[in-house]
Amino acid sequence: MFDHGQPTYAEVNKDIISTMLETGPKYWILLGSTMSLAGIFFFMPWIYQLFVGVGAAGMNRNAVWGTYLSNFIFWIGLSHSGTLLSAVLHITNSPWRKSIYRSAEAMTLFSLITAALFVMVHVGRVWFVHWSFPIPNQMGLWPNFRSPLMFDVMAITTYLTASSIFIYMGSVPDFAAVRDASTGVRRRLYAVFSFGWRGTAREWHTLGWAYTFFAVFVIPLAVSVHSIVSWDFALSAVPGFHHTIFAPYFVTGAIYSGTAGIVTVMYCLRKFLNFERYIGQVHLDSLGKLLIALSLIWSYINVLELFTTWYGGSSFELEALSFRMTGFYAPLYWEMILFCAFVPLLMLTRKIRWSWNKMLVISILINIGMLTERFIIVATSQPRKFLPDAFGFYVPSWIEISITIGSFGIFMTLFLIFIKWVPSISIYEVKETLKPLRRDA
Amino acid sequence: MAILGTFAFEEDFLTAAKNLTSSGFDRISLMSPIPVEEAQEIVGLHKSRVRHFSLAGAIIGCIGGFAMAVGTALVFILPTGGRAIITIPPFLIITYEMTILFGVLFTLLGFHFVSGLPAWKDRPYVISASVDRFVVVVEGTTGEQAAKAEAIIRDAGAEEIQHVEDSQ
Amino acid sequence: MSTIVEKFRQYRKPGYYEKYDYHWAMTIDLDRCTGCEACMVACQAENNIPIVGEEQYAMNREIQWIRIERYWEGEYPNIKMNFMPMLCQQCDDAPCETACPVFATYHNQDGLNTQIYNRCIGTRTCAVYCPYEVRYFNWFTYTWDEPLEQQLNPDVSVREKGIMEKCTFCIQRIRIAKDLAKDDDRRRVRDGEVIPACVQSCPTEALIFGNSNDPEAKVTKMMNNHRGYKVLEELNTTPSIVYLTKAHS
Repeated sequence: MFDHGQPTYAEVNKDIISTMLETGPKYWILLGSTMSLAGIFFFMPWIYQLFVGVGAAGMNRNAVWGTYLSNFIFWIGLSHSGTLLSAVLHITNSPWRKSIYRSAEAMTLFSLITAALFVMVHVGRVWFVHWSFPIPNQMGLWPNFRSPLMFDVMAITTYLTASSIFIYMGSVPDFAAVRDASTGVRRRLYAVFSFGWRGTAREWHTLGWAYTFFAVFVIPLAVSVHSIVSWDFALSAVPGFHHTIFAPYFVTGAIYSGTAGIVTVMYCLRKFLNFERYIGQVHLDSLGKLLIALSLIWSYINVLELFTTWYGGSSFELEALSFRMTGFYAPLYWEMILFCAFVPLLMLTRKIRWSWNKMLVISILINIGMLTERFIIVATSQPRKFLPDAFGFYVPSWIEISITIGSFGIFMTLFLIFIKWVPSISIYEVKETLKPLRRDA
Repeated sequence: MAILGTFAFEEDFLTAAKNLTSSGFDRISLMSPIPVEEAQEIVGLHKSRVRHFSLAGAIIGCIGGFAMAVGTALVFILPTGGRAIITIPPFLIITYEMTILFGVLFTLLGFHFVSGLPAWKDRPYVISASVDRFVVVVEGTTGEQAAKAEAIIRDAGAEEIQHVEDSQ
Repeated sequence: MSTIVEKFRQYRKPGYYEKYDYHWAMTIDLDRCTGCEACMVACQAENNIPIVGEEQYAMNREIQWIRIERYWEGEYPNIKMNFMPMLCQQCDDAPCETACPVFATYHNQDGLNTQIYNRCIGTRTCAVYCPYEVRYFNWFTYTWDEPLEQQLNPDVSVREKGIMEKCTFCIQRIRIAKDLAKDDDRRRVRDGEVIPACVQSCPTEALIFGNSNDPEAKVTKMMNNHRGYKVLEELNTTPSIVYLTKAHS
């Protein structure tokens, strides 16, 4: 597990807490650039769009849903990484998760926040978006719980709440460690964050049980959230959307893209926070194997879609499929197949799977492929519905591309703030993997 | 007055804890940087009461979620899409999400109730407890009892012994 | 107790309504349609439909509550063109109604698929779900140059950006007819008293509109014509518009 020899408990505290207490100019420059990226590329075009109308984007009567929604799905997908790593591997008592799950959970939370922002960019009249929540009001009107979008609202609210509670509760002992290592205002602040945690047997016992219950609740929640997002599409009659495979397809795609995201984030953490000691070959290897498995499942589901469409023989479905594979969007479709089905097979060789640089490239390519996949699903099925006279096509506008880029800025800004405020590697769980403090050990 | 003993090794810490409980001291806190299962057993913790909170939350969420979905559909009847007013599959999904939401919220509440956090008053503590030391604290002892506790702790191999104030 | 059971049965009945009060329906005789698009112009005038402009039209952002679809058959010089007016089918099992998260579209007691403009938050899910693609979105807040704003219909609201709209079977005319009928001794609306703008303006009388609950209405008789079919019937949307195919020799 530890590539350069086991650290002592005190060294673990020092290594991890020092990344929070000591900040160099490189951090501030990076934070400034991501904030500018977010501000200039996301918020300014969005404010322009709020004044002018959603028409500033490239959507039209054929494709009323465009990149805003496909980005929304992409970010929700990215958020499944943390839940899988944190909750599922906690239940299975997997040791290699210990040092990376905190950052993965943070990725979950920030992806969800970015996804929620995309809903607001997408909707035509944002100032009334609170009507989709069941809040008592003077009109006596309630939202339509039969609508797939309402399932979405409920699911994402629950997921946001559960993820924030999950990551906060897991960090309470680490906040206590930071409190003990700091002075002044920071000490008082972390004393509040850690609730006065002392690490007594009662506190550990309660936390252990509560954490396990959170994990047990969050796992079915994560599966349901992306299934529900997929049902926004699958519950329509549109050929290309109306497939029962959508729920497993989306959930698999989400875990796939999320795990690739973890590899990217781990690379950056290692490089910028000097965590080489804590994030090593075993993590890369395990993540690589997970990615191969998910890539194969994803490819299988894609082949399934082709097969069922061909076997069913519905002319509408065949038209939608051929539009995707050989029509206007064919280059994007084949790029997606290349990046998500073929490139990950390179990881079957150990040489590639154990190389940080190569895995970084592969993980970024996988995510580009997955972003394309979301776009293909949303944008290529709508222009080929039923009536041939109504066929058309859709090209994203500059504002949409800018907002897509800006969303990465938002995510990175939130993550950069996170690494300074919360220990990005779980201190106590890493200590649990070290040699126990016994005389004979 | 409270006696606070710091240990560098886990087995010394557990020995001290066992001897203290068997000698009849009951206001004991065992602090460690990582969870130690034997310490939890020594203090008498088996199944946590948090699980009652989780179950209660899940049941409240389940019933509440379904009631909300059905209730709001009946307040102002607006038929949509040739479906019934009370449709089971969509409402089951809402119920599912509410079950999980309230289960999580009540578990959080349960954590706070059962662990006693946030702590509003000062309690005995040393900062090495969050780094690499195991700490035993015996509270509410005076005179002869205090000396006895201190002796047990010293015999178990404590690195450092302090006399501190009791929790308020 | 029996009322509870009765109510429960009512709430569990698909579609909720036992019988519609009036069941507004239309037949479109494709043999008579010449593709002149007079119905489109009338609809635009009656319902304050925005003029989106040349650029936006080229981007496929037109708002045409009723449009004439054109399908070519054959090769030059034996080309045939088929016209199909396509408007909101007012489906009884509408896919668009279930999709709206805020109940901005629902099925009213007259069998109409209504759109509530001030409730719409613009998620555009209904437009995705509609198989006929008859729902249109206000991408901007469109304005009318002077003096065109003087020809706006005061009975119909003007929509701002972010709102979905579609054919309403000229619900404002239905309302007025119902009001007049109520004032006139509380009678029912008679056949021929409600004429939507498109029906009124069609030079060949290809469009026929009326209450299909009324066995004597012209539309009921036309709906039972052997030439009648419904568009995309296999999707089980049960539309309220019956198309009559061209008579073949």
